[in-house]
Amino acid sequence: MHIAEGFLPPAHAIAWVAASAPFVVHGVRQLTREVREHPESTLLLGASGAFMFVLSALKLPSVTGSCSHPTGSGLGAVLFRPPVMAVLGTVTLLFQALLLAHGGLTTLGANVFSMAVVGPWAGYGVYRLARGLGARLEVAVFCAAFVADLGTYCVTSVQLALAFPDPVSGFLGALGKFGSIFAVTQVPLAVSEGLLTVLVVRLLLQSNAGELARLGLRAGVRGKAGAGAVAR
Amino acid sequence: MLSIDAAAHSSRWRRRHPVDKAVLGFGLTLLAVVLPPWPGAALVLVAALAVLLGPARVPAGRLWRAYRVPLGFCLTGAVAVLVRVGGPDAVGLAPGGAARAGELLLRSSAASLGVLVFAFTTPMSDLLPRLVRAGVPAAVVDVAVVTYRMAFLLLDAVRRVRQAQAARLGHTTRTAVWRSLGGLGATAFTRAFDRAGRLQSGLAGRGYDGTLRVLVPPTRVSGGFVGGSLAVLAVIVVLSTVLEGPWS
Repeated sequence: MHIAEGFLPPAHAIAWVAASAPFVVHGVRQLTREVREHPESTLLLGASGAFMFVLSALKLPSVTGSCSHPTGSGLGAVLFRPPVMAVLGTVTLLFQALLLAHGGLTTLGANVFSMAVVGPWAGYGVYRLARGLGARLEVAVFCAAFVADLGTYCVTSVQLALAFPDPVSGFLGALGKFGSIFAVTQVPLAVSEGLLTVLVVRLLLQSNAGELARLGLRAGVRGKAGAGAVAR
Repeated sequence: MLSIDAAAHSSRWRRRHPVDKAVLGFGLTLLAVVLPPWPGAALVLVAALAVLLGPARVPAGRLWRAYRVPLGFCLTGAVAVLVRVGGPDAVGLAPGGAARAGELLLRSSAASLGVLVFAFTTPMSDLLPRLVRAGVPAAVVDVAVVTYRMAFLLLDAVRRVRQAQAARLGHTTRTAVWRSLGGLGATAFTRAFDRAGRLQSGLAGRGYDGTLRVLVPPTRVSGGFVGGSLAVLAVIVVLSTVLEGPWS
């Protein structure tokens, strides 16, 4: 879920823009350098952005019986790395706000911080940790997608609790309130997104292993296939 | 093509410069957020609806289909403000929660309509190439342009793959649904990168130097339109200030 247009008070909206800005600027610098050195990267990065946009439009059956869509931030971070995801995520969120009326421009900073910064970094961190500990690619990818999805919604809960503290129990009460609302719906959805991401990666390993290897993603575990086979 | 962008391409204000429409649309959104929800955001809501259904001539049905999405999110979020946690009976209705939820709903729905004024009248293809002049790095704009062009092709491909999967009983059982979804995600990735590869080959044959040059319709910022928009925004600010006293 994205925070809707106009939902945050102006001071909060500005603060989240300021919090997201360094990550997005860092991502833009990396992307600009990459494009300068390899002009053909523009097309691949654009394709990656379109893939993330389409991925977020897929309807995902939830364990609770409801339906939602994947954030795609875990898979995106594993495939394209978090700095690039900060830019691709910002572009995707902008398109969603203007083309689908999903999210908003005044809440873009807050949504970028949760979905394009914290989600990808948390997912990528867990992915690297799992691979470093010798986990199989599928296990690491599942953990990355699960943590990225759940991390995104935890941050969204914090953002909403800061903006709308409970009149009786304050920030912590509001965090519990928003967190429990999301926990009921998001834990099953995070599991669903993890499973879907593993399915996608397994199919890609069969059909597009070369492209995945170019992105630094290879099957195998440390020790069995050698350290060189461990992705990034 | 997505319905909002399709409407923007056939909008009556399609040929206006994006700055014209940004001043009006984003100005309304800004006022919805900074003015008191009552009567400020309510005035913004009325003005945005009048602009969309009046001079911009957006069909009411199409507007409702787009507007109900953010409205649903606003309603869901506002419900959480109604409830309090803690106190003698652990959970209950928050004191003043209904008023806060109402204000939030008003502010958020008015701000959403402001953005829709811009979105329903400005195609992305008019906006993106002009972002370079606004200071966005050219590399980022190029990536956004490719993303935009490719997203529609991919969405179309995904729709057709989904139809084919349904025709082959790919959505009949839970297992089949998961298998189909995995295939759909993998197909989108494969198609995206295959298309990027072919696009690169085609552009390389045409002397691609890393910059995507696209034709932008030659339009100029209208002083009259911008002035009129600023006047509307000023009237809303004045009315909100005048009316705030009696209502507060």
